[in-house]
Amino acid sequence: MPVVTPALALVIFVAGAAAGSLGAVLGIGGGVFLVPLLNLVLGFPIGVAAAISLATVIATSSTVTAGKAGQHLLNFRFGMVLEVATAAGSVLGGLTAQMLAQATLQKLFGVVTGVVALATIARSGRRNVILDPRAAPGILGGRFHDEESGQTIVYRIKRMPLALGASFIAGNVSSLLGIGGGVIKVPVLNGWCGMPLRAAAATSAFMIGVTATAGVIIYYVNGQLLPTAAAAAILGVQLGSFVGLKASPRMPVKMLKLLLAGVLAAVAVLMFVRGVR
Amino acid sequence: MSDSGLEVLIGRVLRIGVTVSSVCLAVGLVASLVAPGAAPTILNVGIVVLILTPAARVVLSIVEYTVARDWTFTLLTTIVLLELVVGAVAAFVFHRRL
Repeated sequence: MPVVTPALALVIFVAGAAAGSLGAVLGIGGGVFLVPLLNLVLGFPIGVAAAISLATVIATSSTVTAGKAGQHLLNFRFGMVLEVATAAGSVLGGLTAQMLAQATLQKLFGVVTGVVALATIARSGRRNVILDPRAAPGILGGRFHDEESGQTIVYRIKRMPLALGASFIAGNVSSLLGIGGGVIKVPVLNGWCGMPLRAAAATSAFMIGVTATAGVIIYYVNGQLLPTAAAAAILGVQLGSFVGLKASPRMPVKMLKLLLAGVLAAVAVLMFVRGVR
Repeated sequence: MSDSGLEVLIGRVLRIGVTVSSVCLAVGLVASLVAPGAAPTILNVGIVVLILTPAARVVLSIVEYTVARDWTFTLLTTIVLLELVVGAVAAFVFHRRL
């Protein structure tokens, strides 16, 4: 395992800033980018990479949520319902991760990100928006002002069991692989459960704090959360997500989806190839 | 308290937690790079504050939903807190078995 020298700490900080800005813009946390950087590029074991990444996910979630609280984009109630499922999945995933080999986790990482990339491309044209602003959003739906179109957008939550199931799996995969779980929740909530992309991203960013907390405790107790590397990564991600949060309301939705899909596909191939070798 | 009041309060708690944690991590990181081996305590304080911040948010939600007599959400948020506690306990038990 690499020794964290000042030079390496700086590299980790920069990697965190890059991952954090992308993660904040896309609402999926920086983990999906940070884990491959730490594991494939810098040579940390995948368990250590996952632990550090989960810690940065918590920081991103807190920052993004604090920035969006009070705007109606973030659906607190729906998020809290889904947290019941995601936290349960996360605890199980954190424990399972301790029993799996590095190559298995790398292949799993590749498969998960690959499937999500394909699903995102396949559904990139859909908006799932009720355009009449007087329509009722129901108990768990929401209503917010969209800066891109200048319209009030109302949505209703559909397929609740699917949302709960996806949240459980997202929590599980999150702790297993050290990612926020937004890579699973955002496409499912956006594609099948009626949430507009921005609302799904904001709500997912809110939930991943609890998801990552449930998982990171397990890694921390096992001594896999290296304090110095984690500090450098967290501070980098903080800087990155601050920048990303400022930029995200002005970016068009379709471009966001294609950017997300492209980066995920690249990450999927890299991790899978390393796991097979 | 209204829902948006709770949201603002939660936002404030998260911001305070993440700020305190970031300051501890920044101080600890600089100290540990200047003098290797030093300052692990403040680094660990930063990490523990970071981890406890979302947990504090869950506790705050339970209190607010209880005060508002919104029993459905009191129950849901309590289950989330229990899951976090179960995870922490399981981690300690699991760790000892390794």
